[in-house]
Amino acid sequence: MAEVVDIRARVLAANEQAAAKLRDQFRAGAALVLNLISSPGSGKTTLLEATVRALGGRLRLAGIEGDIATERDADRLRALGIPAVQILTGGACHLDARQVRKVMDEAHFPAFDVLFIENVGNLICPTSYDLGEDFKVALLSVAEGDDKPFKYPAIFARAAVTVITKADLLPHVTFDLDAVRGQVAALNPGGRLLVTSAKTGEGIATWCALIEERLATKREAEA
Amino acid sequence: MHELSIAEEIYRASRAAVAGHGAGRLECVTVAVGELAAIEPDLLKFAWQALTEGGPDVGSTLEVEWHAAHQFCVACDADKPRSDGTWLRLCPDCGRPLNVTGGMELDLLHVTFLPDGHEGAGEGSDDG
Ligand SMILES: Nc1nc2c(ncn2[C@@H]2O[C@H](COP(=O)(O)OP(=O)(O)OP(=O)(O)O)[C@@H](O)[C@H]2O)c(=O)[nH]1
Ligand SMILES: [Mg+2]
Ligand SMILES: [Zn+2]
Repeated sequence: MAEVVDIRARVLAANEQAAAKLRDQFRAGAALVLNLISSPGSGKTTLLEATVRALGGRLRLAGIEGDIATERDADRLRALGIPAVQILTGGACHLDARQVRKVMDEAHFPAFDVLFIENVGNLICPTSYDLGEDFKVALLSVAEGDDKPFKYPAIFARAAVTVITKADLLPHVTFDLDAVRGQVAALNPGGRLLVTSAKTGEGIATWCALIEERLATKREAEA
Repeated sequence: MHELSIAEEIYRASRAAVAGHGAGRLECVTVAVGELAAIEPDLLKFAWQALTEGGPDVGSTLEVEWHAAHQFCVACDADKPRSDGTWLRLCPDCGRPLNVTGGMELDLLHVTFLPDGHEGAGEGSDDG
C-alpha cells in the first residue's frame, strides 16, 4: 500500500540555509554584498569595471562572476587589480548559494569591504535564488526596450536598486525613461532607480555613493 | 528555464524524505506554487517527467497546488486582487503600495510512495 510522507518545507530550503550561512559570514566580515542580475550584455561587467576604477582606491573590492562558460568576466576584474573568482555553471542559468559557499570556502579572498556577485546573464531564473546578498541589483540597458519591467516583473519587484545602463545610447534608441521609472515604482515602491553610462561616466558617482552609504548603514547597524 | 533546477530540488528532497521510511518508488509528489513565485506549473510538470524518465521513479506524477497572489492595502483595509497580467504592487483604488500576503509559496507538501515489495493495485495484492 502506498505511504504518504508529510514534508511541508520550502523547495529551496537547502539553498536558503546555505544563503543564511553566507549572510552570517558576510555580516561577521562587515562586508556589503550585491547580487547583480540582468539579461546577457546589459553591461554588468562594464559597470563593475567602472565601479572598481571609481571606488577601488577607497574600498577593498572583490568579485564573483557567474557564467555558463569562459573566465572572461573574472579576467576583466582581475585586470583591474581586484580578486575575482569565476563560477562556471556549465549550462545552468543562475548561481545558487551552494556554489557561492564553495567559492568562499576555497578561494581564500583577502578581506573585502564590498563583494560583487555578477549572476549569469538572465532576467528570470537568478531571481529565485538567494545568495546571501544584502540586496539585488537589476540592470536594464536602454537598448533592451522600455517595457521590460512589466514583462519581467519578478526581478524588478525584488531588486532594491534598478540601474539603467548605456544611457549614452538614449539619443539613438526609443526608450521612454519616465515610463520605465513609472513601471519600477509600481512594481517596487521602495526601490531606487539610477541612470548610468559606463561610457560617459554619467551616474557612476551616484551609484558609488549608494554603495558606500549602504556599507556604512550596515556597519552602523552592526556596531 | 529554471523549472528544471527546481524540479531537481523537489526530486532530491522527495527522495531524501522517502529514504527516511525505507526503500520505495515515488508515486506522487505534491508542491504548492504561488502566483508570484515565478514558476510555471506546466513547465515544472514537464521538467518532472523529463527528470524521472528512465529512472526508478518513471511514471510518478507531480501535483501542483496553485496559490493566487494576495495583496493587502492598509489604507483601504482590504485584500486587493492582482489585476490580470501585471505584478503591480499599487492599490488599484487608492494608489498606495500593497503588502504581499500570499502567492510567494514554493513548498514541498507531501510525497506518496510505494514501499518496495508492494506492487501497485491490480496485481492481486491485498491493499486493505
Ligand atoms: N555604449 C555603451 N556600451 C556599453 C556600456 N556598458 C557596456 N556596454 C557594452 O555592452 C556590451 C556588453 O557589456 P558587458 O559588460 O560585457 O555585459 P554583461 O551584462 O556583463 O554581459 P554578460 O556577462 O555576458 O551577461 C559590451 O560590448 C560593452 O562595451 C555603456 O555604458 N555604453
Ligand atoms: Mg558580464
Ligand atoms: Zn487602497
